[in-house]
Amino acid sequence: MAESGVEQIESADAVIGLVPPASRDGQSLENTIARIVAMPIPGKVALVHPLLSSNHMEPLKDGSLWRLIASPQLTQDPSALAQSLGDSFRATFEIAVKLNARACAVVASDLSATTVDWVSLLLTPVTDEQFDLVAPCYARHPFEGMINRAIVYPLVRALYGKQIRNPMGPDFGISSRLLQRITGAPRTRPHTLPSLAAEAITNEMPLCQSHLGTRTYAAPDFTNLSSLLAQVLGPVFLDVERYAAHWQRARGSQPIREFGQPMYADTPANAMDVSRLIDSFQLGARNLLEVWGIVLPPSTLVELRRLARSGAAQFRMPDVTWVHVVYDFALAHRLRTISRDQMLRALTPIYLGWVASYALELEHASPEAAEQRLEKLCVVFEETKSYFVSRWRWPDRFNP
Amino acid sequence: MWDQVGQNLYQSTVGVLSRLASLLPGFVALLVAVLLSVLLAWLIAAILRRVLRAIRFDERLDSWGFTGLADYSPQQSPALLVTRVVAWAIVLTGLVLGLGAIEATLTSQLTLRMFDYLPSVATAILVLIVGTIVARYLARSVLIESVNMNLHYARLLSLGVKWLVMVCTIAMALDQLQIGSGIVHLAFGILFGGIVLALALAVGLGSKELVTRSLERESSRIPEDTEEPIRHM
Repeated sequence: MAESGVEQIESADAVIGLVPPASRDGQSLENTIARIVAMPIPGKVALVHPLLSSNHMEPLKDGSLWRLIASPQLTQDPSALAQSLGDSFRATFEIAVKLNARACAVVASDLSATTVDWVSLLLTPVTDEQFDLVAPCYARHPFEGMINRAIVYPLVRALYGKQIRNPMGPDFGISSRLLQRITGAPRTRPHTLPSLAAEAITNEMPLCQSHLGTRTYAAPDFTNLSSLLAQVLGPVFLDVERYAAHWQRARGSQPIREFGQPMYADTPANAMDVSRLIDSFQLGARNLLEVWGIVLPPSTLVELRRLARSGAAQFRMPDVTWVHVVYDFALAHRLRTISRDQMLRALTPIYLGWVASYALELEHASPEAAEQRLEKLCVVFEETKSYFVSRWRWPDRFNP
Repeated sequence: MWDQVGQNLYQSTVGVLSRLASLLPGFVALLVAVLLSVLLAWLIAAILRRVLRAIRFDERLDSWGFTGLADYSPQQSPALLVTRVVAWAIVLTGLVLGLGAIEATLTSQLTLRMFDYLPSVATAILVLIVGTIVARYLARSVLIESVNMNLHYARLLSLGVKWLVMVCTIAMALDQLQIGSGIVHLAFGILFGGIVLALALAVGLGSKELVTRSLERESSRIPEDTEEPIRHM
């Protein structure tokens, strides 16, 4: 298959970037590329992909409108996921700007479940409906994507006022207008990925979301959860600081237009072991109270202490407590009360406590009930926003 | 003979009295210098305290990441610590000036030796401050990471790391001050070795529990096709 450098291509109507996880083998990437280039397209499209270990693909047909660009910058480093994804996104965006593309789609999920429909669902709203950002929606069971469910989605929704289910993608469709804004931003802003949604919303660019179906994941690494939390929440909290002038004015939240068919994955049949999560929370409550005390007000600490004493059967973290914790950690991130990395990692046991409480509540619940539960949490985030605004504006004011 | 005794006694008394009389202005000067320096120290400390309070020095120091300094300050206020250090430095300078008025050569030697020693004192103080900050940072990092790894001896591990760094820091500071260097080296070796041994034993005994848990998890591992239902990503 003929690969070209970006210099050999004058222009393209659209650019597609593939940033598969590092664990993926070359064959899977080649198969996905072959599937995508078999798609009929109306204009010239450049497909940017990582370097291939071997090249066994069929050559492109004569007169094909597809162009392939191999870029060594497209990688996912599991030890610095957010940073490597941000760099890969930026590299793809720069190629799209150079080729004067009207739209760009980036697929960063595991390619084994990626279908050609994904590309179409991410690009069509940009090319045909003039949306500037297309965010993904996945068919997930109630216990998948817990960081997004517990923190990122409700926080972004409450702060910026748009019900965008996966603000951090990682699969996106982006217009040339948004591309110009992102690539024009100084390079000192390293986290492209979480800023996409915030940048689009704060600049009043139209955004929507597409239901892409099931997304597969690499095996979870439990010991790295704290660094994962730090990598995900650090950039989100940085954006909270950057866009403070905007989100303090936003009230409530509005749904955004959706494309594709909503799908739900069934709740897994195998039993959940929440005792490990509760143990982690209780261990945190025994040892980290002095660290939490730097970030959280006394009333929240009392609530966490009370929760640590309750047994597994009665273990329920009130939504208000959890929302206060998230808001107070976001504030502490801004104030640099303690080292940001330490602070974000210290959130892990409280997060596990909330996950345990959520899992116990929804153990046998249907996907619809799980959706309602998530909606309830989002409403609490929105209702408690005034607390965050007040803490943000007057952090020194006495807060019992 | 009695005349000679009386004369000698008279001469000795005159000598002592004249010596005392010659020293008296010096002592008065010392007293005045100390009094003036105390007055000046009080005045400057009061002004400094007001300025530091006005610029919210304590809060600023917190936001710059020097949170640990409050624990070592009187009334948990680094501003008060700075004020007191400045005040005592002024009083000390007044004392040295006053001593110079009593005996110029002795005091100049004393002053010279003191000024020679000052860089070592400053370095030792710097070593202590940096060491304390590093110790607290590392101890907190170890505590958080150990808790996140579900280690039940997290606090012990954190305390061990803190004291390892503190012992090392104190030994370095004493070495700078050239105080009992031989004993310090020996004591440092014994203490450092003791802490490392204690930590090794603690971690060794603790990891027995960790390995057991890990083996239990392996033996009761759910088949590949049924995965952990809770996923964070």
